[in-house]
Amino acid sequence: MTTDAGVARGLAFGLPRAADECVDLDGVVRPPYAELLATLERAAATLPQLRRNAQEWFADRGVTFGVPTEGVAPIFPFDPVPRVLSSAEWRSLSRALSQRAMALDLFVSDCYGSQRAIRHGVVPGRLVYSSTGYLRDIVGIRPPRATWCHVSGIDVVRVNGTFHVLEDNVRIPSGIAYALESRRAMESLAPEWFKLAPVRPIHGYTGRLRRILQRIAPRQWDADIVVLTPGSYNAAYYEHQLLAAEMNATLVEGHELIVVEDEVYRRDAEGAAQRVDVIYSRVNSEWLDPLVFRRDSILGAPGLIEAWRRGNVAIANAPGTGVADDKVIYPYVPAMIRYYLGEEPLMDNVPTYDLTDAQQQDHVVANFDRMVLKPVDASGGYGLHFGRLMSSNEASGFLDGVKANPRQWLAQEEVALSRAVCLRAGGGFEPRAVDLRPFVLLDERPWIVPGGLTRVAGDPDELVVNSSHGGGSKDTWVLTH
Amino acid sequence: MGTDTLTYSVSHRTVLRYTAKVSLSYNEVRMRPRDRGSQRTLAFSLLSNPWAVPRSRVDYFGNFVHRLDVTTPHELLEFSVDAVVENAEPRRRRLSEWDQDALAGDPRLEFVLPSPRVPLGENTRSLWHEWNGDDTSFESVLATAQRIRRELRYVSGATTVESSIDDLLEGGAGVCQDFTHLFLAMVRGAGWPARYVSGYLGPVDEDQVVEGESHAWVEVCGSDGRWLGLDPTTGEHAGAHHLRLAVGRDYGDVAPHHGLFFGEAKGASPDVTVRIARMSNQQVDRVEHHAAVHWQQQQQQQQG
Repeated sequence: MTTDAGVARGLAFGLPRAADECVDLDGVVRPPYAELLATLERAAATLPQLRRNAQEWFADRGVTFGVPTEGVAPIFPFDPVPRVLSSAEWRSLSRALSQRAMALDLFVSDCYGSQRAIRHGVVPGRLVYSSTGYLRDIVGIRPPRATWCHVSGIDVVRVNGTFHVLEDNVRIPSGIAYALESRRAMESLAPEWFKLAPVRPIHGYTGRLRRILQRIAPRQWDADIVVLTPGSYNAAYYEHQLLAAEMNATLVEGHELIVVEDEVYRRDAEGAAQRVDVIYSRVNSEWLDPLVFRRDSILGAPGLIEAWRRGNVAIANAPGTGVADDKVIYPYVPAMIRYYLGEEPLMDNVPTYDLTDAQQQDHVVANFDRMVLKPVDASGGYGLHFGRLMSSNEASGFLDGVKANPRQWLAQEEVALSRAVCLRAGGGFEPRAVDLRPFVLLDERPWIVPGGLTRVAGDPDELVVNSSHGGGSKDTWVLTH
Repeated sequence: MGTDTLTYSVSHRTVLRYTAKVSLSYNEVRMRPRDRGSQRTLAFSLLSNPWAVPRSRVDYFGNFVHRLDVTTPHELLEFSVDAVVENAEPRRRRLSEWDQDALAGDPRLEFVLPSPRVPLGENTRSLWHEWNGDDTSFESVLATAQRIRRELRYVSGATTVESSIDDLLEGGAGVCQDFTHLFLAMVRGAGWPARYVSGYLGPVDEDQVVEGESHAWVEVCGSDGRWLGLDPTTGEHAGAHHLRLAVGRDYGDVAPHHGLFFGEAKGASPDVTVRIARMSNQQVDRVEHHAAVHWQQQQQQQQG
């Protein structure tokens, strides 16, 4: 394809001349998209029907995300145009993700062990000791196989053509079920598209996860595995159900677990007590055990931490991993990679500033119109403040608050997320901002499901890509060559 | 046992009266004296009624924690601690200030940072400034401990276990826990690592008995990494009659009892009595004699 033809094709889809998900820096359609865009052009007439079919498919299967209102949780929005990554792109991306996940795991292990990184000034102690994710009661505990972050979801965005890390999630990264369902939807709705290019399968995820959980069980030969959910009012309840079903595990809520003499039990269908070996927990650590952490918690079971301390039950992700996904720790992850692994980071952070550091704070104040400030204790894209959207009065008032409480905020340079082709509601195409949450499983070696969850902004002008913000998903293709 | 050693018998009883019957309760207690320096626990027993087997662990701050799960239905739960503890007068050292860069990479940094019950607010910072100006030396730390005692009134019942530093400063009166939190906030604000100590204040004279409650004071850490006890309630150094139970960032880390129960009860009101007697040398000899006899008997049983 000549350059001009490539640009023309990109423009036909409403794609910009600047770097994007589907076009390169010169506005030329990137190779992995060439076939797909050609197909979309040919099939243009059938696309509105495909879009409706996809909506129906998700509604039929009850794939929901969000808190139920009047008993019904909202259907997860889905766009049928896949997001495509070439095998070379994926190779370098997955190397960088493995590196990052290993460093984060070593950091958690260090925080609850000898705290070398703090003593050597790699990560400031003031940030660790003041983190709500740093759980003092578990210092000194060594979980089975010394693994803490069994699953990590590392959010990446493409900025000017290169992937950058936006955020690390090692507490309870969610979203894999939506990635799995997105693939199933495409396989049933547009099976012919998969003939265009060899796409790597992703269905092996739940089997891998189960194997990891089995390996950390105190009784590996006969491990009883449960998925612990906060309940049906949790936004990701659909995912908890799916994972439990596909891993052949029992879905339980905290009140269904009981700890007797440091052993954890659940009631089976006949009402008999069954000993539990592994808890795949989708409940935040702070809520796991009211005897140790939050005393008002009804989501966990009293005595659970002591049972874990004694090695009678395994918990994944291990309690306490929140110290590594505290937003203020994120700027220090590249330093962690150098320190623990002795390697240069293979992927950059989005430029980020620790506001508890006077110099960095000055820089943020001086360049406020280029900054996004995120509250440290919120997730789901809530509470973001964009410097350029504030009047100077608003900005100075807001910054005074930030200076009084710098530990509560994190400053990131505003980056233009890459956009990918989506089907427009009324027919035709439109580009929308996307990010990618790949899932890294840590066993002896990291394993990454090819692709992950591509999240799409709710509308073309939306700056935040987050499922809690009305965004949806796309199927993510990693090509085998 | 040196001539300057004081020995105390401590009896610490806690009765929890639930508002209704409880079917099951989980309890964590921090009631075993924490030995360090000159303090030594010669004898210790912890019993509960209803009976439960205590299991122990050591927490993050190095305190003993006993876990008691009471599985028989109960409306009332009692913990009885009896201990014999000896202690000597700690040396009154002058502490030198930390180099803030050295502190940044030190685990004791944790004790300079705000904690849940000790926020480092503007009010405690300006109070330090009003009393000491810009001086953050050890002399100002000592002067602050004495000044808290002079400026604030000790009134039992003026505050509750949940009261904040702001409550103390507004009301001008409180108890040892409040003074300790205020003193912690002030010295941390001045750059000194400082921790909360819970314990008992025993009588100084022989054969004297103190009945009352638990006590609390502060330990400040100098740049040599060693901790020194200062009591803002008495305005003095912690002495041989200060018996340590547990240390932490603030009261939340050392509370003697944390419990969780299942049943119809809405809560429990604790009733605490502490009785501390200074033991004469004769009595101490008897304790040690009994211990020795008991040990001999055990040895004989094992051999026989």
